[in-house]
Amino acid sequence: MDRPTPSSPTPRGPRRSRHWGDLIFAGLVGLGGAGVLVLVFAILGVLLYQSGLSFRAFGWQFVIGTQWDVRDNIYGVVPFVSGTLITSAIALVIGFPLAVGSAIFLTTQAPRWMRGPVGTVIELLAAIPSVVYGFWGLYVLGPYMRTNVEPALHRYLGWTGAFNGPATGTDILTAGVILAVMVIPTISAISRETLAAVPISQREAALSLGATNWETTRVAIVPYARSGIFGATILGLGRALGETMAVTMTIGNRDAVPTSFFSQGQTIASLIANELTNSNGPLQYSAIIEAGLILLFISLLVNVLARLLLWRVLRVTGGSTE
Amino acid sequence: MKRQQSKAWMYVLVAVVVVVVIIVAAGYYAGWFKGSTTNSSGTCAPPSGGAIKGAGSTLVYPLMFQWESVYGGGTAVNYASVGSSAGITDITQKTVQFGASDAPLNHAQIAAAPGKVLTIPESAGGVVPIYNVAGVPTLNFNGSVLVQIYQGTINNWNSTPLQTLNPGVNLPNAAISVVYRADGSGTTFIWTSYLSLESSAWASSVGKGTMVMFPVGSGQAKNAGVAGYVQKTPDTIGYVDLNYALNGGVAFGKVLNPAGHYVLASVNNTASALKDANPTLPAGSGDWYNVSVLNAPGAGDYPITSLTYVFVYQDLSGVFGSSLTQTQAETLVDFLYWMVTTGQSYSAQLYYVPLPASIVGADETTIGSMTFGGSAVPNSCGSSV
Repeated sequence: MDRPTPSSPTPRGPRRSRHWGDLIFAGLVGLGGAGVLVLVFAILGVLLYQSGLSFRAFGWQFVIGTQWDVRDNIYGVVPFVSGTLITSAIALVIGFPLAVGSAIFLTTQAPRWMRGPVGTVIELLAAIPSVVYGFWGLYVLGPYMRTNVEPALHRYLGWTGAFNGPATGTDILTAGVILAVMVIPTISAISRETLAAVPISQREAALSLGATNWETTRVAIVPYARSGIFGATILGLGRALGETMAVTMTIGNRDAVPTSFFSQGQTIASLIANELTNSNGPLQYSAIIEAGLILLFISLLVNVLARLLLWRVLRVTGGSTE
Repeated sequence: MKRQQSKAWMYVLVAVVVVVVIIVAAGYYAGWFKGSTTNSSGTCAPPSGGAIKGAGSTLVYPLMFQWESVYGGGTAVNYASVGSSAGITDITQKTVQFGASDAPLNHAQIAAAPGKVLTIPESAGGVVPIYNVAGVPTLNFNGSVLVQIYQGTINNWNSTPLQTLNPGVNLPNAAISVVYRADGSGTTFIWTSYLSLESSAWASSVGKGTMVMFPVGSGQAKNAGVAGYVQKTPDTIGYVDLNYALNGGVAFGKVLNPAGHYVLASVNNTASALKDANPTLPAGSGDWYNVSVLNAPGAGDYPITSLTYVFVYQDLSGVFGSSLTQTQAETLVDFLYWMVTTGQSYSAQLYYVPLPASIVGADETTIGSMTFGGSAVPNSCGSSV
């Protein structure tokens, strides 16, 4: 490519025009970049502006208020923050071992012919529209949870107090399980990438010391990819925090702080989906916008954290992620 | 090489032509190209070039859709089914020419409007308790039992009060799973108005509204969501509009009326309830918040019945200023006249309740009071006003 090109008969002409073309090109892409920035700040600005009414009315009480009372116009965001965090936590507790397990299996244990197809199938999970997950959760998983899983949980773990109340199949637990399935492709794919980025010398060193397969994975490979896996998990968490449709269909949509895994609840995303367009007045509307702002901050925090960790691990491994 | 390429293009071209032909043929048989069948739209002919917009209630949407597709050949009116509360917001912000809601405006909403709002009841419907109990095709309910179920004090299908209302019915020993509307809803307003009427405890602790804090249960979005969930989930109870229950094929219960009969809701006994309730209607510009046609006195009347409303501004030019043309004002008034007269004949086939003559008369008076530029708006419907 760097071979000198045959000199053109009019060297100045083309260079000048390229110069102008470059300017136009730079201007256009610059406009694109600035446009995206403007868009982000416009969204933030609108959220801040529209949540003003609620912020003035409740101040910090909004952040610690446990009541969402449409009739008396008292709004607090704790029911939704807790619903969001609990469902996301369930998603990670169930989804993380499956996702990371599948990633380790595919990078270290699976025969070569299996890696591509199985990896693709796992990533296909991410291509299923969330409303389809919701539909499946409402009519297939929910009834199964209600008749089989939840009674069993209550029988063996009821003493903890976290598995009490009527088993309905539309509750925090079902929403969490659906989210677990939805975060698996994210966590699995990125974990696989970071595991694949572990230098072969790590593995060879461990094996040459007489380590078994399990010991090699545990001592040499996973620690090396640890922060990448952590970053992948946080990205998965980001997806769980913001998921709307599937959660709205399975969580039971109740504006109260959940008291057990069988409680109906509401996440911030499902609150917005359910109540924003039908809000009963400007104050409720503003309170919902403020809840959205809080979700934005939580997601932002989580994503920045994930990017930082991923950036670190990819730099350490020299960015050799294929 | 070149030849092969052109051949490939030929194949693509042929494939495209075949697909298009198949689609067109299928579409022809599906009736895509039949054009809008010109239904009789009475004597009305909307003025051209003045299309108007409305928004609001999802309850009335199937009927409104029928109306807008029949009236003026389907181009004069555009209704968005965004939900009652959103419809009220839209008319308050003047982004639509009429709003529709199953709940009348409350005092705060009246105060927030930029001009005098007229309330025009345009249809009516019943709200029914739907349930899913294996092997129980019909169930009797009364107000007190429904209140207790929604309060959570009756929480098993074989509890004594339910057994008492349903002698001889083999009710299962299963927990009742209560379902309500998760989104703000006129249906919830009607349902909680009925529960408030039946129980002062409910009225003071929960009250009525398009969105209330139900003591127990889980929420599903929209009428169709509640109907679908109850239909698929054993031991549930919910509430939906009669048309959704009938169209969705979900079991719904009889409700005890004040005359002492258990009534299974139908278009006929909801219509008779509307007639017998004979509510003293306020003027179109008045306060409708406490208008109720619940618990009508007739022997066959279905007790959970409600009007549903359209809201417009009385002084059209005063409120909309230059953003509304004279032609649009004429279309609006013309459409409203048509809706409460000729339009009523489309109600029953969609399981809505046609308005009785007394309410139609009141509506016509209200519509006649609308002005543009200080004078009454002409209409083509040949109304009595």
